[in-house]
Amino acid sequence: MSIGSPDSTVGVEDHPASAEPARTAATPHGKSPSRIAFDRLRKDRVAVICASIVLFFVLVAIFAPLLSKLEGQDISTFNTQQIDEFGYPTIGITADHWFGIEPKTGRDNFARWVYGARPSLIIAFLATVVGTAIGVVMGLLAGFLGGWVDRIISWLIDFVLSLPFLLFAIALVPIVESLRGGSFNLSPEDQANIRFYVLIFVLAFFGWAGLARIIRGEVLSLREREFVLAAKAIGVPTWQVLFKELLPNLVAPIVISASLAVPAYVTAEAGLSFLGVGLVEPKPSWGQTIAVATNWYKADPLYLWLPVIGITALVLALALLGDAIRDAFDPKTRR
Amino acid sequence: MLYFVARRLVSALSVVLATLIATFALFFIAPTDPAAAICGERNCTQQRYEEITKNLNLDRPKVEQFADYTIGIFAGRDFTTSGVTQHCAAPCLGFSFKNDRPVTELIGSRFPVTLSLVLGYAVLVLTIGVFVGSMAAKRRGSLGDRALMTSTLVVSSVPYYIVALMVALYLTIVYPILPRGEWTPPSENFGKFIAGLLTPWLVLGIYNCTSYARYSRGSMVETLSEDYIRTARAKGLSDRVVTYKHALRSGLIPVVTIFGLDIAGSLGGAIFTERIFDLPGLGQLVLDSLNNYDLPVIMGTVLVASVIIVAMNFLVDIGYSLIDPRVRLS
Repeated sequence: MSIGSPDSTVGVEDHPASAEPARTAATPHGKSPSRIAFDRLRKDRVAVICASIVLFFVLVAIFAPLLSKLEGQDISTFNTQQIDEFGYPTIGITADHWFGIEPKTGRDNFARWVYGARPSLIIAFLATVVGTAIGVVMGLLAGFLGGWVDRIISWLIDFVLSLPFLLFAIALVPIVESLRGGSFNLSPEDQANIRFYVLIFVLAFFGWAGLARIIRGEVLSLREREFVLAAKAIGVPTWQVLFKELLPNLVAPIVISASLAVPAYVTAEAGLSFLGVGLVEPKPSWGQTIAVATNWYKADPLYLWLPVIGITALVLALALLGDAIRDAFDPKTRR
Repeated sequence: MLYFVARRLVSALSVVLATLIATFALFFIAPTDPAAAICGERNCTQQRYEEITKNLNLDRPKVEQFADYTIGIFAGRDFTTSGVTQHCAAPCLGFSFKNDRPVTELIGSRFPVTLSLVLGYAVLVLTIGVFVGSMAAKRRGSLGDRALMTSTLVVSSVPYYIVALMVALYLTIVYPILPRGEWTPPSENFGKFIAGLLTPWLVLGIYNCTSYARYSRGSMVETLSEDYIRTARAKGLSDRVVTYKHALRSGLIPVVTIFGLDIAGSLGGAIFTERIFDLPGLGQLVLDSLNNYDLPVIMGTVLVASVIIVAMNFLVDIGYSLIDPRVRLS
């Protein structure tokens, strides 16, 4: 063996086992970043507690019809015989009405509370899915293709981020309603349904831009890496490079952004409903109940506190869980 | 530098123009009949309907209507209602047929409320947030620091309107520890003006200072580990001088950036505060207009808020490029 021409096969021949070291079950071996993050998350006590609270609300939302059947009440029966002439309920917590009844209408609080978890969660999750999908595609295209595509998408991102979200959300509601013939001509059910979709649209419309900007930045550095160059060199089509080569490397920012978006959307949905531009009767929603309950909070505090506790617990658990997920993917951010 | 400013200005103006077109499109092209929407469907007479159609030139092409609106912003225009012609002066953002007043006038009458709210909030949030953040940074890792950071995380995770609502209901009405929110012009009675805004200021300031505390803590922790801080300490400067004179100066730069954008955003985001504390500001104006379908007012407010945000964005970018020259190259 002369100097200058190292024989790379020597070591392997001498020690064939070293090429593929024998693994015992106990020795740690290659884990994907998502796997590592998930393992960290499982050991995080706060994350586990928050995840179970979120799971509780998800189960409540899924089994809302079952739960209200168990109680023997529904969301739209008016128990006017239990309301006095001033609109105050004459009964508190009873075996029939687990959380009492609403002032003025006499509808069952428990049934409306469990059903109220539904729009919050459905709107937040759908808006997150739509917003994340748009954000990822836009970010991938802008970062990978560059040139005028990048310039247009970057400008769109700047544009969306500089719009006042709350005001636009408020402005969109009457416009969409007047498209469908104005709120005076709509039945309450139609109006409630329209509001439902308007909310998802508004949240997704304002939600994609932040993620798109992050993805674009990541792709800008990833596209110069060898594996992408290699894929391009052997003639892999662009869409396959985007979704098969780049996307798996973007799992961390996508999961983090989605997990922080969900609590923000729950907050936004309930907030808009509280202002009267979100969900409307007859759809039960926590935000709208809070708005009504502020007129009755002295005589009937339970009516106010039920949705308040619901939203606070759900948003708090989701937000802390999102924070824990971010820490799990990027331990440097840990306090 | 000049090139950078010019480029940023062009992009800021393009965003403003796009916002103008987008809002116009939303309000005047999307609804099938803007005149009917503006007129309202409960007590709209045929005469009034025609009057609005004529005033807004709704029978002419959309491009001309848009040109009218845009020219109105710079030159003003006239509106005729019930036979009386009213002039809508230069920054004319349309005419509220519900209130029989130009939109600009309505916004102008509500603006001082929102501005006072935001200014008081700005002072509070900066002083509390930066103070708490730099205290935590100095005692990094201590029990107090960790307790503080955990509590700010928890507080900022609870929706703002829940906190504000609970304070408004329980601390100003049920247990009147704090004064109730109300609006008195400062020229009329300054003491009442302060008292009426005190609770909203405190709630806004304390709730939002959590994020400022976290930002300023983060940037102070970084700054305090710089070499020049060690040099300052080695020279024998007192702890107070090192922290507040040397470290705070450069530690504040990222905080100021966020501050600019936050203030612009909170002009539009004051809606919850105004609704809960019953202050007649811009947010209330929008909500009132929503209830009676007063589309020109909503459109005008959206435009004003967008322009303020874009302007603040622009100023922050320019300010940042002055502090950190590397920004200009990107």
